[in-house]
Amino acid sequence: MIAWTQHLLIAPILLPLVTAASMLLIDAARQRVIAMLNVASTVTLLLIAVALLRLAWQSESAVSGVYLLGNWPAPFGIVLVADRLSTLMVALAGLLGVASLSFALARWHRAGVYFHPIFQIQLMGVNGAFLTGDLFNLFVFFELMLAASYGLLLHGSGAARVKAGLHYITIGLTASMLFLIGVSLLYSVTGTLNMADMAERIASLEGDDRVLLEVGAAVLGVAFLVKAGMWPLNLWLPGAYAAAAAPSAALFAILTKVGVYVVLRLSLLLFGDGAGASAGFGADWLLIGGLLTIAFGAIGALGSQDVRRLAGHCVLISSGTLLAAIGIGDARVTGAALFYLVSSTLAISAFFLLIELAERGRVPGADVLAVTMEAFGPREAPPSLDDEGAGIAIPAALAAVGIAFVLCALLLAGLPPVSGFIGKFALLSALVNPSDPSAAVSVGRWAMLALVILSGLAVVVAMARAGIRTFWAPPERTPPRVRVIEFTPVAVLLALCAALAARPAPVFDYLQTAADALHAPDDYREQVLAALPAERRALGSGESAR
Amino acid sequence: MLLVALIVLPFVGALLAALLPVNARNAEAWLAGAVALAGALVAAALYPEVAAGEVLHYEAEWLPAAALAFDLRLDGFAWMFALMVTGIGLLVVLYARYYMSPTDPVPRFFSFLLAFMGAMLGIVLSGNLIQLVFFWELTSLVSFLLIGYWHHNGAAREGARIALIVTGSGGLALFAGVLVLGHIVGSYELDRVLASGELIRGHPLYLPALLLVLLGALTKSAQFPFHFWLPQAMAAPTPVSAYLHSATMVKAGVFLLARLWPVMSGTDAWFWIVTSAGAVTLLLGAYVAIFQRDMKGLLAYSTISHLGLITLLLGLSTPLSAVAAIFHIMNHATFKASLFMAAGIADHETGTRDLRRLHGLWRFMPITSSLAMVASAAMGGVPLLNGFLSKEMFFSQALHASGPENQSLTLLPLIATVWGVFSVAYSLRLIHGVPFGPPPDDLPRTPNEPPHWMRFPIEVLVLACLLVGTLPKATIGPVLAIAVGSALGADTPEYNLMVWHGFTLPLLMSVLAMVGGSVLYLLLRRRLTHGAEGAPVLRHLNGPRLFNALLVALSWRIARPLENRIGSGRLQSQLAWLVLVALGAALLPLWAARLPEAGAGSAMDPALALVWVGGLACAVAAAQQARYHRLAALILMGGAGIAVCVTFAWFSAPDLALTQLVVEIVTTILLLLGLRWLPKHPRERAVPAIDRLRRMRDLAFAAAAGGGVAALAYTAMSRPVPDSIAGFFLERAYSEGGGNNVVNVILVDFRGFDTFGEITVLGVVALAVYALLRRFRPAPESLAVPAQQQIQRDFDAANPGRTDIIGRFLHIPSVIMRLLFPVTTLVALYLLLRGHNQPGGGFIAGITLAAAMIVQYMAGGTRWVEERLRFRITLWVGAGLMLAAVTGIGAWLFQHPFLTSHTRYLAVPVLGELPFASALFFDVGVFLLVFGATVLMLVALAHQSLRAGRTLQHEAEAQSEHAPVPARKGA
Amino acid sequence: MELLIATAIGGLVGSGVWLLLRQRTFQVIIGLSLISYGVNLFIFSMGGLRVAAAPLLADGAPGDLAAYADPLPQALVLTAIVIGFAMTALLLVVLLAARGLSGTDHVDGRERRPRDDDEEEPPA
Repeated sequence: MIAWTQHLLIAPILLPLVTAASMLLIDAARQRVIAMLNVASTVTLLLIAVALLRLAWQSESAVSGVYLLGNWPAPFGIVLVADRLSTLMVALAGLLGVASLSFALARWHRAGVYFHPIFQIQLMGVNGAFLTGDLFNLFVFFELMLAASYGLLLHGSGAARVKAGLHYITIGLTASMLFLIGVSLLYSVTGTLNMADMAERIASLEGDDRVLLEVGAAVLGVAFLVKAGMWPLNLWLPGAYAAAAAPSAALFAILTKVGVYVVLRLSLLLFGDGAGASAGFGADWLLIGGLLTIAFGAIGALGSQDVRRLAGHCVLISSGTLLAAIGIGDARVTGAALFYLVSSTLAISAFFLLIELAERGRVPGADVLAVTMEAFGPREAPPSLDDEGAGIAIPAALAAVGIAFVLCALLLAGLPPVSGFIGKFALLSALVNPSDPSAAVSVGRWAMLALVILSGLAVVVAMARAGIRTFWAPPERTPPRVRVIEFTPVAVLLALCAALAARPAPVFDYLQTAADALHAPDDYREQVLAALPAERRALGSGESAR
Repeated sequence: MLLVALIVLPFVGALLAALLPVNARNAEAWLAGAVALAGALVAAALYPEVAAGEVLHYEAEWLPAAALAFDLRLDGFAWMFALMVTGIGLLVVLYARYYMSPTDPVPRFFSFLLAFMGAMLGIVLSGNLIQLVFFWELTSLVSFLLIGYWHHNGAAREGARIALIVTGSGGLALFAGVLVLGHIVGSYELDRVLASGELIRGHPLYLPALLLVLLGALTKSAQFPFHFWLPQAMAAPTPVSAYLHSATMVKAGVFLLARLWPVMSGTDAWFWIVTSAGAVTLLLGAYVAIFQRDMKGLLAYSTISHLGLITLLLGLSTPLSAVAAIFHIMNHATFKASLFMAAGIADHETGTRDLRRLHGLWRFMPITSSLAMVASAAMGGVPLLNGFLSKEMFFSQALHASGPENQSLTLLPLIATVWGVFSVAYSLRLIHGVPFGPPPDDLPRTPNEPPHWMRFPIEVLVLACLLVGTLPKATIGPVLAIAVGSALGADTPEYNLMVWHGFTLPLLMSVLAMVGGSVLYLLLRRRLTHGAEGAPVLRHLNGPRLFNALLVALSWRIARPLENRIGSGRLQSQLAWLVLVALGAALLPLWAARLPEAGAGSAMDPALALVWVGGLACAVAAAQQARYHRLAALILMGGAGIAVCVTFAWFSAPDLALTQLVVEIVTTILLLLGLRWLPKHPRERAVPAIDRLRRMRDLAFAAAAGGGVAALAYTAMSRPVPDSIAGFFLERAYSEGGGNNVVNVILVDFRGFDTFGEITVLGVVALAVYALLRRFRPAPESLAVPAQQQIQRDFDAANPGRTDIIGRFLHIPSVIMRLLFPVTTLVALYLLLRGHNQPGGGFIAGITLAAAMIVQYMAGGTRWVEERLRFRITLWVGAGLMLAAVTGIGAWLFQHPFLTSHTRYLAVPVLGELPFASALFFDVGVFLLVFGATVLMLVALAHQSLRAGRTLQHEAEAQSEHAPVPARKGA
Repeated sequence: MELLIATAIGGLVGSGVWLLLRQRTFQVIIGLSLISYGVNLFIFSMGGLRVAAAPLLADGAPGDLAAYADPLPQALVLTAIVIGFAMTALLLVVLLAARGLSGTDHVDGRERRPRDDDEEEPPA
């Protein structure tokens, strides 16, 4: 017997799939129906995610739900695990999904066929990657996520996107190879694929097995770091994100975070204090890599003229900060980093949406048109971007976009009054005040403090330049035509950041408990492995049912 | 709670102001005025408590986890500032009402102004340092928006940007400094920090903290070498300058210095850094001010100089000097605000701020002129005005500091006097040069007295200057007492505010300054009116230009090339990085431990060895051929694939062998279909040296990667296998999975979820491929009919008698292929059904059928096939996904989790006993999807040649209209 | 035997990596295919090499690892093969599209050393 409510845990994966499938069964000509289907599903998805989040919020234990697929007990079958962190990430993904979909419905979803099903599959892949508790299943969902993201990146086609796509896909495939090598190596050493089980077995490994294990883990880590965007594995990222259509880029903001999430989860689960000799394996390298990434992102931000590339480098700065924070390996730092993650993800997503609105005003849609005209047959060109009624063309729109731009800049630079500052403060404060007061503040922590501050400065300089060029320099610019469904998502995301700044305490405490749970993974292990399958009837005559 | 009101009101006002209509000048002014007035009244109302020496607190929870609370803290010093900020704010609002032209979008202006007031109040009322930084950065931001208010004008944009970057980065430094302070003290609360001066000064991190904090304060207060942003900021509307550069923005820096004075001052580091910065700024500002042409420019530099004075006084670290500093903060605010306003009026009325053209204004605007003269006199430190008092204090401090105990400061009195001379000189330019002299000839407008209410703020401020200057004890005395008392805390000194101290050395210095200044002014007059712009000697030291040059260098000379160096977008270098990092990561654990030694492998079978000799030969040959002989490479790759396939079969993995084989076939077909669109490459003769180098590198990488993986595989293989979860599968595959083919049971049951995801990948990729191909445009040169066909065609054309070969192309084979179709289909179904017990299964079946399909396309050609079978391939994809999902969800009805399978054996006539598991439906789903997806991709690719053909015939619109799959016609 | 298979894996991956670093898209795709052969073998080999022990149960009798080859890696390889196939197809189409839009089959869409940034004028 298992209660219906327990199926909620798999809904974030099934719902998008079923939606996508039914979209394919509907005649593709009926765009409107499909679009509505997409909206319904995405919104429901967000609601489900929020419900899961509430469950995790209320649950006393670290793990708020374990779902045994095929009703097989833990190490043998595949499990989905809902804990504070994974549910939060799913909720975040759902939020970005709704935002970018609403933006896409204004225009972009018509820029190519099959946008909607691919969009749904993208959400499915991301959610699966967050929820699964099985290493190989993680690979499958990674691939699913990547495959869909290839589709979304190429959505709208055009030379720039195809070139970026070529690079992105090639890198992604190579990374997948590494992923496979790593997973199989870990299997050959530990004889299991279930993360929790693996963590248990690692403790008892010795000698050469441990070396092989660490090799496997390191190779695996490289595959994740490609996604997370660590320098020098991130050179594809700014180009790809800059080339992607605004809604796709806005959704991609979560993809790098998937990489970060996996690194965080696995490094603490497999190489936590329980891991014996290899406890804390690779942490220092993570820190160094993260710092290098911050530096690279800051340099790139300074050097980039194009606002989209600037945004791409902001993504890198955010990833670098998170990776370095993970490398520090201090529960308080992790907690603050999670808060920073939430804030920066929302900000980046909003920023990618915003850029298009802002630039549309500057050169009425020229860039988009250029791409689309090149990409589309003469007949299928989208409604020209400054057709009447494509949006309200009053200065108010310009003002709103301008304010939103300023807020994004503040968020990404970590300046008040929005949540970027709080996140950065919490992070840095945790850096200079280690969890155990006796410990001295290490060089790495100081270096990180300096780099985070300096990267903020770089972003300020770059943003001021970009903002002035976009909003002030043009003597008389035609006010952008902005549709409500385009601007609302931006406004909502930014409003959330403002709320985070005003009332950070509840979210922060939640994330701190999540971080503590990550740093003490025993509960996680026990509860995953203890989950019992539903009752099984005895094996009758040639009949079995579990 | 009054404190909250004090800080919340301005922001609320700002919000409201932003919402008012564009041209509502009066409404805006009333709103802003009301807010400012309310603030001032609140401050006034709090006087009793503050006067009683209380420290008012308001605390609200903010981020307890990080020990951060929202804490408003009002002591005497903060109170004095609050009064100044709100009071002068009120006057500025009144003035702005008349200054702003009806065409200006005033909502933005007043909204920003109020926001700025709020931020400034936030700084002075902050009860903890983080909150202070919070509002500090807010002022930087809002000042940016205010300075850039007239953003159509380039100077305004520049000024705003420079101000933001300089003060903003200073703020970030302060942020870091505050964090360090927090680390030292263990708390960010101002009270705790102020209480632990000893600890801070003694801490090893004192110096970094000090430097960072000073960086913040000095940038904000425009101290050398960061002074240059302030004159640039003069592009702002005059009310903004009057507000920011008299009472608020620039005073934030000295406010901070005074705030932390009790805990951070008194060390040599503090003394030397702050004092010297102040001294340099003091002289530099005053000197440059003399030579300004722009009236606001003159005021800007004099502001810099006066801030230098305050900084210098705080640097001296004697209590009395601190008193002088605080006193001068107030005095400077009053006279400088009034002067800026006066300058604004002159600008407004005459249309110019050029001091060379402004003279003899007395005739036109006597009242304003006289007010300006008094204010300038106060600035110049003329007796009976407030400027005089603080100046006297400064002089006496300068003398006192340069006492015998520290020789190093003997210069200080001299510096002070020279500064006095300079300030008198530039004050005289305003006192004498502007009102008197010949009547103005070339003014854009003929000036008049401004409306009375526009002048009123100046009158108030000038009156203040007079009162304070004449009876300080009665007027400013108590306020100063409160401020000083709370700022200096315990070591508040005895001081007396008196206009007349008798014939003292400071007085002598003042007299010297007066005389010297007047003489200097007379000497310089001609030069000032006709000479070149800018101050002699320092003219070429152009701060902003240097700054911009620095930024550009940073961004374009350094950042970009660096990014291109370490972040090249070239795919090859990216992949090289990836391989390198992966190798490094794999080697990482080996530093610590020794290489794991491998057990002995089993004996090698010559047959398989032979297979692999071939296989590897194929692989290497493919690698070598792939550039110029694609087809060859493709075939060779197939060879390697076959070797893999054999190996699978050899080592008891029939399913793998089968799958590998079919996938092999389909992949090859795909690549073949793609080949024709790739360009031909003429073999290039000479390989550049650089390329040869890169090849060596790549060869090394390849060898390292291959060797590494091989070593890993060998070690892993030859080690005893751990007890694996696989045993469970073997044990229960039949009893609970209902199948003999364990691999298949794993795929559809134990780990069905993987398969589930995997087929979804296939499906979504098919969609992406399809979507992309609809936009496919082949390169023009690859459109031509292949050479062989061309030849054949020409031949046929040459002798018409013969049957045309093209039409009958592959005639016989095609017939056979068509006959084969049903057979293949049957095989596929067989593979599908037996999958659960024998090698086979949905995937293999699907691919097989897809292959059969493609064979039909090859045989009959696209058109022929699609005339005969019309179905939407996407339908198959959707159906497959749906079936798989539904099968899984079906388990819910039995209160079991997703994908729980249900097995029963059915006796089917002819076929005998068949496994009839729910997993079968799942497998059928897999089958449908795999077939659909594969065909979708292959067909979409195959269609390109049709479309290309059409493109050749210039059927432009067909491009977008015709879709690979017939059913898409509706789309 | 192990040695042979290890060499095979190494050879496949090595030649694959070499092609991966070439500058023509077709070389890259062939390279990736070779690598995935190697990697599939690698995964497979992680279960150990067993001759004539195919995991096909003799009618329903529960089996164990002593009698049969490890079925799990085989299942994993199957999944990997399928996904690899899908990705190869996608990459192929993308490179065709790239060749069509950019007119070259260079991996960077330009023949000579490209700079992957936008040429703008430095600000005044």
